[in-house]
Amino acid sequence: MHVVVCIKQILDPEIPPREFQVDPQTKRAVRGRASLVISPFDLNALEVAVQLKERAGGRVTVVSLGGEETPEALRRALAMGADEAVWIRDGALEATDASGTARCLAAAIAKLDEPDLVLFGRQAGDWDQGLVGPMVAEALGWPLVTNVFQTRGENSPLELLQQAEGGYRVVAATLPAAATITNHEANVARLPKVREIMLANRKPITQWSLGDLGLAADEVAPRVVVEALAVPVPEGHCTFIEGETAQEKAQNLARALRELKVI
Amino acid sequence: MDPMATPTREVFWNIEHTWLVYVLLYPTAIAFVYGLGRRVEGWFMGKPQIRWDRPWLRLKLFLRDGLAQAQVLRERRAGLAHLAFSWGFLVLTLATVAVFLQHDLGIPILSGNFYLYFQSLVVDLFGFAAIIGVVYVLYQRYVVRPPRLTHGVFSDGVLLVGFLVALIQGYVVEGLRIVATQDPWGIWSPVGYATGQLLVALGVRELPLQLALHRFFWWTHLVTAFAGNAYLPYSKAMHLLVAPLSLFFRELEPAGRLRPMEIEGAERLGVKALSDFTWKDLLDLDACTECGRCQEVCPAHAVGKPLNPKTFILDLQRQMAGLAREEVTPAVRPALAPGVQVAAATLAEDAALEIVGHSIDPEVIWSCTTCNACVEVCPVEIEHVAKIIDLRRYQVMEEAAIDETPQQALQGLEDRAHPFRGTQASRADWYQDLPYVKTLAETGPVDYLYWVGCAVALNERTQRTARALARILHAAGIDFAVLGEEEVCTGDPARRMGNEYLFELLARQNIDTLQRSQVTRIITTCPHCYNTLKNEYGALGGLFQVVHHTELIEELLAQGRLPLKGPVDRSPITLHDPCYLGRYNGVYQAPRQLVDALGERVEMERSRARSFCCGAGGGRYFMDDRPGQRVNVERSRQALATGAPTVATACPFCTLMLEDGVRTAAREAGREAPEVKDLAELVAEALDEEALAAGWPPEEAGGRRA
Ligand code: SF4
Ligand code: SF4
Repeated sequence: MHVVVCIKQILDPEIPPREFQVDPQTKRAVRGRASLVISPFDLNALEVAVQLKERAGGRVTVVSLGGEETPEALRRALAMGADEAVWIRDGALEATDASGTARCLAAAIAKLDEPDLVLFGRQAGDWDQGLVGPMVAEALGWPLVTNVFQTRGENSPLELLQQAEGGYRVVAATLPAAATITNHEANVARLPKVREIMLANRKPITQWSLGDLGLAADEVAPRVVVEALAVPVPEGHCTFIEGETAQEKAQNLARALRELKVI
Repeated sequence: MDPMATPTREVFWNIEHTWLVYVLLYPTAIAFVYGLGRRVEGWFMGKPQIRWDRPWLRLKLFLRDGLAQAQVLRERRAGLAHLAFSWGFLVLTLATVAVFLQHDLGIPILSGNFYLYFQSLVVDLFGFAAIIGVVYVLYQRYVVRPPRLTHGVFSDGVLLVGFLVALIQGYVVEGLRIVATQDPWGIWSPVGYATGQLLVALGVRELPLQLALHRFFWWTHLVTAFAGNAYLPYSKAMHLLVAPLSLFFRELEPAGRLRPMEIEGAERLGVKALSDFTWKDLLDLDACTECGRCQEVCPAHAVGKPLNPKTFILDLQRQMAGLAREEVTPAVRPALAPGVQVAAATLAEDAALEIVGHSIDPEVIWSCTTCNACVEVCPVEIEHVAKIIDLRRYQVMEEAAIDETPQQALQGLEDRAHPFRGTQASRADWYQDLPYVKTLAETGPVDYLYWVGCAVALNERTQRTARALARILHAAGIDFAVLGEEEVCTGDPARRMGNEYLFELLARQNIDTLQRSQVTRIITTCPHCYNTLKNEYGALGGLFQVVHHTELIEELLAQGRLPLKGPVDRSPITLHDPCYLGRYNGVYQAPRQLVDALGERVEMERSRARSFCCGAGGGRYFMDDRPGQRVNVERSRQALATGAPTVATACPFCTLMLEDGVRTAAREAGREAPEVKDLAELVAEALDEEALAAGWPPEEAGGRRA
């Protein structure tokens, strides 16, 4: 079984809100002092992949598209149990969007050694669009199952456990297939062992440029233009609940809350 | 008898068939040497470690704690009893050696003054002291029965009663000899002499009866003594031989300096099996006297967590005993080792057996707050904390076996260089509106770097400590700056949770920042940072002068550089000694002087070296407590018991833990919760702002520094 996991390195979503800023010119978040981490759902996807490998054998390849600090994310993935890493790196990708990213990933997956399954995080922790997974599946012409949290079995058709209202659904997927992964207690990302971290530091990372993928710069040019991006300013309102007695105040409070549809 | 004759006695007086002694001696010696050998063999499985540097210091400490038993004596009565019977035992052993020298090597030693003063008088008195000691210990052990003495009830009884019987037999033999031979020097053995008189008074008057009884008791005394010696290496009395070693080979490094370890190229990270420990760690296991002092002081044990430092050591000892005794055939085994549980595993299996999960439950090693109270109190210098951390190191670095909440703290350290998940604060928040707080990048080299620490900078509550200290430093005219966003965690939580790799990454980054900024002197408000910066960065090339804020403030007060308004309103004040400031670094006085300057001080029952942890150390701050097992609540109860309306601390973790704990404790007691404050806050509140505004110190006192 050859599982490919596509991961994205994003700004740490846990930075204090005060520090989060947007550059009005480029309409992008400012890096500031925030660290870069692997997008949370991608970590769940990695965990699902590594569990599948541990059960069914085979190997896991991680692929990421990004700037100069991408190797950090790839090394962490290697430490968590991935066997190989591919870094898609090209100056022309700087401004690309979901469709350009999907094109590159699809080309890279096609270039890899016969993957059986491709996993994505349900959506990236920065833009929360959830587009890349479906677009890659589309480009590859593979079946896609969304909101998966676990796999069962060892061969095609592989059972994918898909989250559903109040429970889950089991989908049998003929391989090759793609899936987007959501978080669940069964796929909490493992803490890499220090031994593995040290080994990961020595593993090579394959680099592919657009040319290596057989793509031209205009094929990955953004098709979506961000018009505006701003940090919401939280506004506080203060309303005093009036009333003569405590009971009256409570009733008025309850009414106010009901009007706000809070209760 | 000729009054001018040289005082002496005949060695085998009244005894025939003395060859029998040697017949009995051989099996005794074999059992003894065999038992000892098995133990020593166990230690040799351990990894090498140099513990013979500074031999004179070692010798000095050994004499203090081994012969004079200074540490044992920290518990007055039990210590005296122990001193009495251990010295009794030692002196009696020397007396036996003297007999051996005279009889078997032909050195005429048992005559003249040596005979009178030592062999008769001293030996007699020490033996008697030993009887008193043993009786006291038996009384404690089997009548009073404190909870800390719960191990080896049977085997201890055998030992103590055996020793007592041998002593009494000895006096009976001596007494009978004195009366039967009409020994002119008999009175030099007063207790023996009295025993003889007593026997005569009881009716043992005829010489033949005296001779027969003498022979009987002589032989039974011999058998008892031999049996005791043969049993020794299989019992806890083994500490008699091993404790001197553990005292001599003790850790001489500062307590706060965790043992370094090799990471790159290490075959195994941390300790998985017994053979991964160092030889000293394994020797420690056999040195344990089962005194239970560590159990008594352990905060984890006090609140009912599964950790008991004594049991921890003894469980490891048992695993090692199973290994060391393996080659003894099953038939011999029980005979050699009654009371010692013998594991059934094979030699190789036992040596490689994973400790955690086999003889030690994982929850045991994660319950430890690394408060060091056990190490501090142990009379034979056993190093519990180093062992617990070594076991954690393996669990974390090789197995990644750690609960989710502490795992998230480690992950936070890796991703954002602090362990406080979900904090809304950034390191620069607390000084945004304080014009006198600047970063090093803005000021360039300064007298003091104020190292804030994550626990202070990233919690709204403890930021008040930082603001208070900054106010004080500014008032005293100290030239200081902070690192601001450039500061990252010192790595203490990672190190204490067993992730040495992460610790090193963080430490190297900090050392690099500090050296680049030409920092030489550092003030910290966090004892954990203090300890790490002061004691642990040196090994990685970072040498700095570090002061804790209480030390510096105390100095400033003493120099008259801080005007105070007078006693605070909420006096008296009780002081909680943070483990990493007090026990680890010996800073007890400075915080007390601050409290004294602020009001009346009331001490908690457990303070200074016996202080009870707040529950946060060793990464425990980042782990969950089971209901009813919260160390901070227990400590808060102790603080409440003083009745003081203010609890002073000197550590952000303690502040957070106790502030939380006093609420629960106060609710339980139906009382108002005392205020928990860092000493910096208390001093800042007491600053006489008017005097400062008028210019302090006044001109004639020398003026203030620029
Ligand atoms: S360090 Fe403290 S918590 Fe840990 S075992 Fe010793 S006394 Fe108990
Ligand atoms: S470890 Fe030390 S303090 Fe604890 S029981 Fe053994 S000898 Fe006593």
